[in-house]
Amino acid sequence: MSFVVYSVRYRILFSLLGLVLPVFGYAQEIANKQIDEVKVTGFATEHFMAGLKVQKIDSATLARFQFQTLADFLQFQSPIAFKSYGSGQLTSISFRGTSAMHTAVLWNGLNINSPMAGQTDFSTVPVLGFDEMSIQYGSAASCVGTDAVGGSILLSSVPKWKQKGTNFTIGGQYGSFDNYNGQMGLRFVKVSKSGLQFSGKTLLYGSQFNNHFNATERTDNKGITYPIEPSETAQKGFIQDLYLKKKNGNMLSLNIWLTDNKLAIQPDVIVFREITQSKAYRVLSAYQFGNTNVKAGFVKDILDYGTGDFLTPSHSETDRYIARAEHEFSIKKKDSFQQTSLRIGGEFVHYVAKVDGYGGGSITESRQDIFALLRQQFTQKLTASLNLRQAFSTRYVAPFTPSFGLEYAIISNEKTQIKLTGNIAKSYRLPTLNERYWKVLGNLNIQPESGLNKEIGANWKQVISTNLNASLGVNVYHNLIDNWTYWNPDKGYRVENLQQVLSQGFEIMGSVKYLKDKTLAGVSATYAYTDATQQKVYDVYAVDIIGKQLIYVPLHTLTGTAYIGKGDWSLNIQGLYNSERFITFDHSGRPFPSYFIVNSTVSGKIHFGKIQSNLIFQVNNLTDTVYPSVRKNAMPGRSFSMGLVFSGNVFKQ
Amino acid sequence: MQFNTIYTRSLAVSALILGLNACKSTSEPEPSQPYDTGVFVINRGNFFDNNGSISLINATTKALSFDIFQIENVNSLAGGVSDYAEVDGKGIILVDNATAGKDAIEIVNARTFKSVAKIPSSDLENPRYVVKAGTNKAYVTCWDAFNTDYSYKPGYVLVIDLTTNKVTKKIAVQKGANKLLVIGNEAIVATTTYSEATTISIIDTQTDAIKQTVEIGYEPQLIGSDANGKVWFYADGKFVKFNLSSKVVESRIAFASASSIKSAGSFTFNKEKTAILFAYSYADAADNYKQKGETYSFGINDSSISTTKPVINKVFSGLSTDPNTGNIYGGFSPSLKQAGYVFRYQANGTLIDSLKAGIGPEGFLFK
Repeated sequence: MSFVVYSVRYRILFSLLGLVLPVFGYAQEIANKQIDEVKVTGFATEHFMAGLKVQKIDSATLARFQFQTLADFLQFQSPIAFKSYGSGQLTSISFRGTSAMHTAVLWNGLNINSPMAGQTDFSTVPVLGFDEMSIQYGSAASCVGTDAVGGSILLSSVPKWKQKGTNFTIGGQYGSFDNYNGQMGLRFVKVSKSGLQFSGKTLLYGSQFNNHFNATERTDNKGITYPIEPSETAQKGFIQDLYLKKKNGNMLSLNIWLTDNKLAIQPDVIVFREITQSKAYRVLSAYQFGNTNVKAGFVKDILDYGTGDFLTPSHSETDRYIARAEHEFSIKKKDSFQQTSLRIGGEFVHYVAKVDGYGGGSITESRQDIFALLRQQFTQKLTASLNLRQAFSTRYVAPFTPSFGLEYAIISNEKTQIKLTGNIAKSYRLPTLNERYWKVLGNLNIQPESGLNKEIGANWKQVISTNLNASLGVNVYHNLIDNWTYWNPDKGYRVENLQQVLSQGFEIMGSVKYLKDKTLAGVSATYAYTDATQQKVYDVYAVDIIGKQLIYVPLHTLTGTAYIGKGDWSLNIQGLYNSERFITFDHSGRPFPSYFIVNSTVSGKIHFGKIQSNLIFQVNNLTDTVYPSVRKNAMPGRSFSMGLVFSGNVFKQ
Repeated sequence: MQFNTIYTRSLAVSALILGLNACKSTSEPEPSQPYDTGVFVINRGNFFDNNGSISLINATTKALSFDIFQIENVNSLAGGVSDYAEVDGKGIILVDNATAGKDAIEIVNARTFKSVAKIPSSDLENPRYVVKAGTNKAYVTCWDAFNTDYSYKPGYVLVIDLTTNKVTKKIAVQKGANKLLVIGNEAIVATTTYSEATTISIIDTQTDAIKQTVEIGYEPQLIGSDANGKVWFYADGKFVKFNLSSKVVESRIAFASASSIKSAGSFTFNKEKTAILFAYSYADAADNYKQKGETYSFGINDSSISTTKPVINKVFSGLSTDPNTGNIYGGFSPSLKQAGYVFRYQANGTLIDSLKAGIGPEGFLFK
C-alpha cells in the first residue's frame, strides 16, 4: 500500500456499540375517579412513535443468533444495507439509503455512536450485548435526538423479574477458519421480606476470529477474482446490570458495558501489519420514582490505530458525561379509550476529546436537548402523537425538530386488523467531532444537517385459522436531507455542508406463521426499494452525479426467513439478496455485482437434569457465494460452526 | 553451471514464437490489434477502493475505452495503478493494493491487453514507476513498506526479465525511490516528496548494479531529459539541470519571485524538449482551503522562472505532452469517487477539449 500517505494518516476511524430502555406506558384504572393520572412503568420512547414502523426482535430470535454480531444479524432481519470492509472488519449501516451517520444507535436510551466519527461499527456489537432490540424505520429525531435520520436501532438491557433464583450460562462456539466464541454469565433475582426486589446480570464474552481461509483469492462464477485480505479480530466484553426495585415500583438501575475490539490486517507480517483497537466503557445509572426518570451516564471511547509493532499508535479518546431527566404525565378517562401521555425532559451531554488528529490538547463541547412528547389516544381506533425537540450548542443553531404521527385502525376485530399509519418528521444530525475539529480538514463552521421525512403505511394482520396467521405491511417514505456534509476534494478534502440527498422508497414485509401444539413453522420476507440520490449542484462536476443512486446503496434488497420447529428443535434458513451496488458517485467503473447469500441454523435443547444445553449448528453462506467487500476483497465463503451453551438454575431461592 | 529447466524451456518456447512470428512477418502483414495505437491513460484509482484502471483515448476520433484490462481479462486490476509502460511488446502494469503485502505487477500483451503473467506480491511492495532498461528488461522502482511513523525505508529497483516474466534482482536504492529514466546504459532513480532523501542513484543497466549516487538537493523529483540531453530535477524548490556525462549539477534555476505557499508538481517537457511545464498550486486558507494555482512553463535556457503569465489557468494532478502532436494532456479529478477528466490543450495553452477517464487520471502513454 502506498500513495496518499496523508489519507492513511488522517484515516477516520470509529468506535462502538449500544442499547436502550424500552417502555410501555400502561394505564391503570382507579375506580371512583373520572380522570386519573396513571403510573408509567418504563420509559420506552417507542410509545411516542405513532405512525412510524418499529420492528421488535424477540428474545428467542436473539438467543438463536447469540454468537453473531449485530452486523450479521441485522442484514438478515431487516432490509437495511451494510457496507463491510471484510469479515470482522468495519461494517457500517445504511438505513433507507442514508449514510452511516444517519442511524442513531441507542443503548438504554443513550446514543452510543462514536462522537468522533458519528457512527457505529456494527461488527463490534455482539448480539449478546443486550436483552431486547427494536429497529425503528425513518426519522425519529424528536423522540431519539441527533442521528435518527434514516432510522434508529434501540438496544435495551431488561431485568427478568419473573426468574427465580440464580441462573448461570456458559458456552462456546467453534467454527471454520479457526474462529471461536465464548461466554459465561449469571443472572439473578432476589426478593427481600420487605418486598424489595434485587436483580442483576453479569456476562463475560469474547471471540477470536483467526480467519484462516487457506486461500489468497476467490473467483466467482463469471471468472471475477477477488483477493482475500488476511485479517484477525479479537473481541471481548463485560456486562454488569443491577436493578433494585421497591414495592411501589420505584427503581434504581446500573448498567455497565465494557468492550474491547482489536482488528489486525496482515496479522502475520509485522512490516505490513495494521491494527485498529477500539475500546468503550459505558456506565449508566438511572432512578425512576413515580413518573419521573433521571439518568446519569459516562461513556469513554478509545481508539488506537497503528502499523507494525503497534508501539506508537495514533490515539484518540473521547469522554461523554450525560445527564437526563424526564417526567411523564399520563391521564386516562374512565370508561373510554381516551388517554393522554405527555413526557417532557431534557438532556445534557458534555464531551471531552483528546484526539491526535485534532492536534493535541483536549477539546470540550457541550450539547443540550429539550423535548416534549405527546401521545393522544382518541378512540379505540385513532391515536396521534406530536413530539417536539430542540437541541442547543454554543457553536451552531440546531434545527427545531417537530414530528406528527397518526395511526388509524380501519378494521380491528378478532380476526382482522388493518391499520393505516402516517408520520411527518423533521430530523437533524449534529456535526461529529471529526467534522469540527480534525486538523485542517475539519470545519468549525460546519452546520447540522437537517431532514424532513414523510411516510405512510398500511398494516394488515389476519388470523386465518386457529393455527395460522399472517401479516402484511407496506411503508412508503420520502426523506429529504439538506446540508449533507461532504469532504470536498476541491477544498483539499475539507468538510462542508454541500449536498442534499433525497431518499425515497418503500418496504413490504409479510409473514405467515403456523403454530400447533409443539410445532411451529413460518415464513417471513421483506423487500425494500431504496432510491437515494444527490440533488444539489455545488460545482460543475456535480452534474455527473446528480440524480444517481448513492454508492453502496442497493436499489433492491430482499431478505427472508423460513423456519420450522418441533419441541425443542428448530431449523432456520435465512436468505439475503442485494442488487448491484455502485462504487462511484457517477456510476463509472464496474459496480459490485448483485449477490444472494443463505445462512442456516439448527438449534435444539437437551436437558441433563437441571442443566439445559442449547445446541446451535450454523452454516453461513451455504451456497459459497463470492461477493466483494468495500475494498474489493472477497467476503468469506461457506463456513460451519457449532455452539453449545449450558444453562441452569444454581441457587434456587 | 546448472540451467534452470523452466528458464530453458521458456527460452525455447519464446524462440519458437519469435521464429513463427518472423516467418509470418515475411509472408503477410500482421493483423492490427485493438491497442496498437492510442493514448493510454493511467488512472490511479481511489486508494482504499482498489479501483485503478487504464483507459484508452483515440486521439483523433476521441473514442474512449474504459478499464481496458477488465474488458480483455474479465478481472479488474486488484488495486490502484501507479504506472504503466511498454517493453518489447509487453505492457507492464504496476498494481498498488490498499492492503500492505497485496501489491502485484500484471504483465499483458501490449497489443491485445490480454494477461500474460503476474509478478506476485511476495516480490514487491509499493511499486511506483516502470521503464524499459534493455531488451526484454524492465526496471520497477518500489518504496517497500513504510516505517510505523509512515516515513520511507530505503527503496529498491526490481529487475524484471520479460522472457521469463520473473524478478531477477532487487537493487537497493535511496528512500522514496520514485520516477526513473534510462539514458544509454544508465538508469537514473529519483525520489518522491516527503522522502527526505537528497540523492539520486545511477544504475548501470548492463550490470544491474549501482554505479554512483549523486547529491542533487532536498527531495529530488525527476522531470526528464531535455533536447540537449541534460537531465532535470525539481529539488529544494528549484529546478536543477544535471549533466549526466560529467555527473555534475550545472545550474539551479529559481523562481523570479518565489511563492511561500505554492509548490510545483506535475512536470512535463514540451514536444521539442526545450521547455518545462509544471503545476504551481496551493490550498488557499483565506478561501476555505480551495485548491488554487496555474500551469506555467519556462525555457531550458532561462536563468529564472517567471510566474507572471500561466500557460493554462488550471492545475492538474498529471501532465504530459503528446510527442506526435505536441498537445498537452492534463489529468483532473473532481473527486476520487467519480470519473476524472483529461483536458487537452494545444502547445500554446488553447483548450481543445476534455474527455472522460477513469478514477484519478494522472499518467499518460502515447502510442
